[in-house]
Amino acid sequence: MTTTTAPISVEWRLPRARVALPRLLLAELRWVFRRPRTLVVLGLLAVIPVIIGIALSFADGGPAGDPNPPVFVTAASSALALPIGALTVLLSLLLPLTVANAGGDAIAGEQANGTLRGWLLAPVSRGRLLLVKAFGVAAVALVAASLVATTGILTGLVSNGTDGLFTLSGTTLPLLDALGRVAIAAGWVTVQLWALGAVALAISASTEHPMLVLATVLGGVIVSQVLLLFPALDWLHPFLLPASWDALINLMRDPIWWDALGEGILRAACYLVIGLSLAYARVLTSDG
Amino acid sequence: MTTSLTAGAAAPVAAAPRLAARTRGLRKVYRSAVAVDGVDMDVPEGAVVGMLGPNGSGKTTTIRMLLGLVRPTEGEAELLGQPMPAASETSLPHVGALVEGPGFHPFLSGRDNLLRLAAAEPLLGRRQLDGAVSDALERVGLTDAGHRAYRGYSLGMKQRLGLAGALLAPRRFVVLDEPTNGLDPAGTREVRRVIADLHADGVTVLVSSHLLAEVEATCTHVVVLNQGTVVAQGELDELLESNNPSLLVSTPNGARAVDALRDNRIPARLAPDGVRVDLSANTASSVIETLVRADVAVEEARRERTGLEDLFARLTQAAPGEPEDVPLHRVPELMS
Repeated sequence: MTTTTAPISVEWRLPRARVALPRLLLAELRWVFRRPRTLVVLGLLAVIPVIIGIALSFADGGPAGDPNPPVFVTAASSALALPIGALTVLLSLLLPLTVANAGGDAIAGEQANGTLRGWLLAPVSRGRLLLVKAFGVAAVALVAASLVATTGILTGLVSNGTDGLFTLSGTTLPLLDALGRVAIAAGWVTVQLWALGAVALAISASTEHPMLVLATVLGGVIVSQVLLLFPALDWLHPFLLPASWDALINLMRDPIWWDALGEGILRAACYLVIGLSLAYARVLTSDG
Repeated sequence: MTTSLTAGAAAPVAAAPRLAARTRGLRKVYRSAVAVDGVDMDVPEGAVVGMLGPNGSGKTTTIRMLLGLVRPTEGEAELLGQPMPAASETSLPHVGALVEGPGFHPFLSGRDNLLRLAAAEPLLGRRQLDGAVSDALERVGLTDAGHRAYRGYSLGMKQRLGLAGALLAPRRFVVLDEPTNGLDPAGTREVRRVIADLHADGVTVLVSSHLLAEVEATCTHVVVLNQGTVVAQGELDELLESNNPSLLVSTPNGARAVDALRDNRIPARLAPDGVRVDLSANTASSVIETLVRADVAVEEARRERTGLEDLFARLTQAAPGEPEDVPLHRVPELMS
């Protein structure tokens, strides 16, 4: 056998170059918001509050004097209730679907397409790749929640006018205050969706099938909501993300009941940290 | 056992060429299957290295480890002098690669797909992106189809777009894994031209293929893999010669020539087109000297070369001596 350990005579001197992060983030956004699937779901989300608003304008007002009327009964007469009610309803299924879809496409979908390789070879380091992907999913979540809130409040204002902004506690809010509350609701829902997105990314990094991500996340959301129905399992309830999702209605009280809302943020933060850590570990070790 | 010929027959040169890629003892085990085992591979700078091997011989796995996409189980890989995958941020900007077929988003146009790729290329400035994409599209003949959605591309167009992706930025090393897959003869010729252009510009090229004729036409060096190990590597010409060290001598009196050679213990036999002399123990000049001394008129003497195909078959067939096998360069045709 002839050995051929040729001595490396001249060192390779390669100039170091790195792409600025904003360029990658922008490229990711451009890709995320041109994906037909994302656009279809976002369109659906924008239309649903309008449909609810139209349906409610034909409904009767709720029973007078009920301290805890169903939110949609209130929505028939309060412009404030429509966006918050729509967010509450959509948070149980369609909004998680939107985020799970984005999370699944972000890594598993790219892996299946063979497109992840292109960026890894450019190169985009794996840590940065996860950062960019998480940013894309977070953007979808923010846009989805904001869209529901925006079309919700617009529909509410169109059908009820600006003077009907009363709360569950019976007080009436000035328009700016009401808009602020809707913004808080959208923000709060966005954080809940980020928590789901982090879990979706962790699963996404472990598989090549975006559908598996969708099924797992939605399955998890539905199972959690079912488990929350059983008082016997109350020891488990603090660990379930949807446990705080009912708290959204507290934004319609005057003053706002912050306790449950804060707990929801804390719960979401735990999911976020765990999900992103798992995703990071997987992205670092997986084969590209 | 690795038969390495890079240094074996080469004339002494002043400075050893730099290696664009180098692997030592590379090994990759997937669960229980050994994909690559002890690969020592050298890719000299400026060379066009053809990587040959039957399906499943470890070509793609080796390339993926070289590019830092996969972590080797054992051994080391260097790309442009940088250890991989640790220093991939230093080496990869200068490396273009088409690995495991083209990967693009079906809903984006070819052009937008390349723009997305280009956005991540460190060597391209923000204002250069458009121009770089146009150039790459033109280079592979996709300028007209650039605005169409990737979904509607033919197999050959997809492959071309993949090639364009590898050529987006100025490269020092280009790795092409089966670049001619799905291409028609014209497309294959274009790939050959692209490789020749890169070679002329001093860019090192590593191209894996099982189209042996293709490799023979475009490559300066060859690495042959079989069952996860390198069975031969070196300059193409040397490999082909060393494989079949014989001299074909045309002479009017063949019988006398054979006698004269055998008297001097040089193995020779009469062939239809002259006298075939074994060169494994003798040099060509000593053979001719012997013949001239024996007063045999030598009209022509030339080293005999068999094609890469024979060499490849000999190196990669488990049981040699089955000449009825389908020539490997025809396998893709037969399968398609």
